[in-house]
Amino acid sequence: MNDKNVYSRKATLSLKISEFEVPPMQDLLIVGKKAPIGPEAVRRMAEALSPEQFTLIRIDHPKIEAVLLRNSLLQMLDEKLLMGIIMEEAERMISDSMVLRSELKIAVTVQREVELS
Amino acid sequence: MKVSDMMLTMLHTITSDKSVAHASERMSEQRVSSLLVMDHGEVIGMLTPRDIFASHPNRIVADAMSPGPICISSDQTVWDAGRLMEEHGVEQALIMAEDELAGWITRENIMIKLAEFRDPLTGLFRAPYIQTIGERLLYEKKPFHLLFIDLNNFGQINKLYGHPFGDDVIREYSSLLATMMDERYDHVSRYAGDEFVVISTADDDRILSYIDQMETPIGIRHMQVSAAVGHVNGYLDPNFFTYSFRELIEKASLLSTSTKQRIAGTVL
Repeated sequence: MNDKNVYSRKATLSLKISEFEVPPMQDLLIVGKKAPIGPEAVRRMAEALSPEQFTLIRIDHPKIEAVLLRNSLLQMLDEKLLMGIIMEEAERMISDSMVLRSELKIAVTVQREVELS
Repeated sequence: MKVSDMMLTMLHTITSDKSVAHASERMSEQRVSSLLVMDHGEVIGMLTPRDIFASHPNRIVADAMSPGPICISSDQTVWDAGRLMEEHGVEQALIMAEDELAGWITRENIMIKLAEFRDPLTGLFRAPYIQTIGERLLYEKKPFHLLFIDLNNFGQINKLYGHPFGDDVIREYSSLLATMMDERYDHVSRYAGDEFVVISTADDDRILSYIDQMETPIGIRHMQVSAAVGHVNGYLDPNFFTYSFRELIEKASLLSTSTKQRIAGTVL
């Protein structure tokens, strides 16, 4: 058969399947002022996926509009202290059009001494 | 004039979960300058072209809109509406009639309407303005001072020196009146040719000072110009609220004529 008369259309499918993490935004999201997703959209998304588990904190900053934080983090550390650390790290790398997500784990180490009777 | 007489009743709305890109398309299709943002029948904001330019098109309207517009009662005057919108620095306001949304209004529309009520020669508002203020105060049973100010011998000035000079006199006297007024208490208008009306809620001492200044001859070019003032004091007259505004103007006007007759010949 003449090769010139052969016509073929093929599609190759490739699937990578993994578990969808709920919630997908991990522990915190930092929303830039000109980001494609605004704070209210982020808040609604978090509320729909993980009701009552996240808090949106709006802030007055040249590049950052708001931070979405997992409530449990706020229970472990003072909000002002936590936000101070997050902002210090985030403002070094964020631009106003970005949304950053981050894991934030808090490990508390306790050492106590007691009097022996 | 009430805001309900000039409000826009066609409301273009959008819900807060739509994208800014969608809102922009809708504004373009419907040829409107803003959209009212409503969720579950409640107004939560306003989306203007300025909001759209400042936001990423993927954002939802809730993240792009301006905060809820101020609400103005439908029986407020256009002057009150203009003042409120200026105080709040807003471009749009909602008009409410008995807690129901009746329409909306833009500051641009208000400014155009107010310009129609301004006297082009003096820049002061014309008679309908003072009439609206007076009728509203009477309706609200709030007393006020009414001053009817009539320039002395203005007809003679026109005859002797020509109408352009007469216009100069009107303009300069208006400017004097405008600088004398305190916007916290006073409203002034050019009522007719050489007549002005002031409504004031200031105290008696200030009113007497106004009358004194208005009646004292002032030099305008080479002329000494003065006015005769008729004063109706709403704080002293027990029957004040039985009169219509038109009757109060008549009273003040006649008092001004009496004053004029009393001082006739002493000034030009």
